[in-house]
Amino acid sequence: MNSVSPSAAQYKGGMMQEEAVESRRPLPMERQDSSGLRTLQTLSASGESGEPDEIDKLKAKLMSAWNNVKYGWTVKTKTSFNKLSPVTVLGQSYLLNSEDEVERFRLAFVSRVWLTYRREFPQLEGSTWTTDCGWGCMLRSGQMLLAQGLLVHLMPRDWAWPDAQQLTDVDFEVFRPRSPARAGGVPIPSFGSPRGSNSPEKSTNQAPKCSQRKRPESVKDRRAEPIHQRLVTWFGDQPPAAFGIHQLVEIGKSSGKKAGDWYGPSIVAHILRKAVAKTPVVQNLAVYVAQDCTVYKEDVVRLCDQSLNRTLVDEFSPLWKSVIILVPVRLGGETLNPSYIDCVKSLLKLDCCIGIIGGKPKHSLYFIGFQDEQLLYLDPHYCQPVVDMTQTDFPLDSFHCSAPKKMPFNRMDPSCTIGFYAKNKKDFESLCSAVSTALSSSNEKYPIFTFVEGQGHDYGLESHSSSHTHNPVAHILPRGKLGQCNNRRSSDEFVFL
Amino acid sequence: MRRALKVLTINCVCPPAIRQQEVAGIRSKFPNKIPVIIERYDREKFLPPLDKTKFLVPHELTMTQFVTIIRNRMSLLPTQAFYLLIDGSGLASMSLTMAQVYREHQDDDGFLYITYASQEMFGHSKPL
Repeated sequence: MNSVSPSAAQYKGGMMQEEAVESRRPLPMERQDSSGLRTLQTLSASGESGEPDEIDKLKAKLMSAWNNVKYGWTVKTKTSFNKLSPVTVLGQSYLLNSEDEVERFRLAFVSRVWLTYRREFPQLEGSTWTTDCGWGCMLRSGQMLLAQGLLVHLMPRDWAWPDAQQLTDVDFEVFRPRSPARAGGVPIPSFGSPRGSNSPEKSTNQAPKCSQRKRPESVKDRRAEPIHQRLVTWFGDQPPAAFGIHQLVEIGKSSGKKAGDWYGPSIVAHILRKAVAKTPVVQNLAVYVAQDCTVYKEDVVRLCDQSLNRTLVDEFSPLWKSVIILVPVRLGGETLNPSYIDCVKSLLKLDCCIGIIGGKPKHSLYFIGFQDEQLLYLDPHYCQPVVDMTQTDFPLDSFHCSAPKKMPFNRMDPSCTIGFYAKNKKDFESLCSAVSTALSSSNEKYPIFTFVEGQGHDYGLESHSSSHTHNPVAHILPRGKLGQCNNRRSSDEFVFL
Repeated sequence: MRRALKVLTINCVCPPAIRQQEVAGIRSKFPNKIPVIIERYDREKFLPPLDKTKFLVPHELTMTQFVTIIRNRMSLLPTQAFYLLIDGSGLASMSLTMAQVYREHQDDDGFLYITYASQEMFGHSKPL
């Protein structure tokens, strides 16, 4: 069974992680092997260090691999990237024909926070669940979206994780137009590794650029590490963690959800909004969730402008809160309406876009970019053991993914939530105009969603919702009557609005 | 999808010619109203079925107002996902008036067909 996930070697849990990374590094030829084989090689490599319980570990690993197959981890060994067309990751483009660009892409991809299924965490209140394997994928995607918002909110601009792993299981190929057969794939030879593991093997059509120079930002990035570490703890699988699974499930109860249920992108957007509003750990950030595909600008202003709703005079808080804008949409009936694909691409090209939570049918993914006709994503369907975050320097490796994956746009489920971030008022204004421009790029005549001046209740949203409390009679068909066609042909079967 | 739905819910009992007659009659009787058929997405699991599916809607009503009315008829909370799909797959811009949507998307039989749906949920089959 060649079913061990690409990153299995990397995620051995707990103490083994450092070792796994080290042992994987110097073996460029093993990349051509099946990933299953590689795990065994890695195992034997780590076995040399004299661990006594290797067989138990092997058993645990095989069980874990099986669990991951069971819970939907894509068993695909490699992802191919076209060297001739740019990859977009959250507003930035990378043309992967030079080592420098591959290095920039690596940092952009691996620095994103990756949150996956976890097991053996404290029991979720009111249930017997100690894992979210099999049901929590949409919550995990939502966490990743929020984590990205928090990264841009808190970290220096263009921050990259200084310890970002090397990319695994990727090919960079020249996809020749008109030839369905791919040109010979060149397995990536550890491009620009900061750990100095430069492979002698080079692919022929790379620009002869030196990749060993340090990013000028690396000192700044290193200095931001404590914030990075703290940010990850907020997503820890412990009841007190502000955005951990325990909090999110608890908040979801008010929307009628419980542990073990499946969640949707719209419900998760509202859960995130409530979680951010509730927590003291993140100040000066608000989350706005659009209703009925409309962003009411005045409502966003009221959420952000502290001079409007300040009750206590606090000289230290800024006058304008940063905002994450989440727009739940449905881009088609059963399948994605293809005319929206260009629009989704245009949105992912925007600097202010923090990604899209959606997925394939029944399989949630966090979309962060695209290349050609394929979406680039982070996949939460990988069941990892819980990480003990009581030590301040707990390992971060299992919160970052080194194996980029892609899927065709036409498999995208139409239900999703699109995320944006604006740091200040000026940012928000430019976000509105940039997003509106991107939305009008669709072939479809009408945009996916719109920005509207004014507040929701100017458009009768609140007056109606309050009136229905006086009139609790819902005009819905009692269960079981669906399908009985009412066939009187007179105007009285019409409802007059 | 729209065709399939129509076959299921309307066409099964009324042939197209009769629907056309019906629209012609109602249009002449109420020239300032638009005949709309609103149907539940056939795989919808969360939103309830409406007790009535045929509506006569003023021309100047915006999609936002229309959505709000339908939401209220179902007693939905503002945070519950609810989408109207025109022609089975497209979202209509919320600022459009019903007259604009009707002009673009009315069916051959004279009705405007709108499907309502919430969002899909994501997860895998429950473990043993």
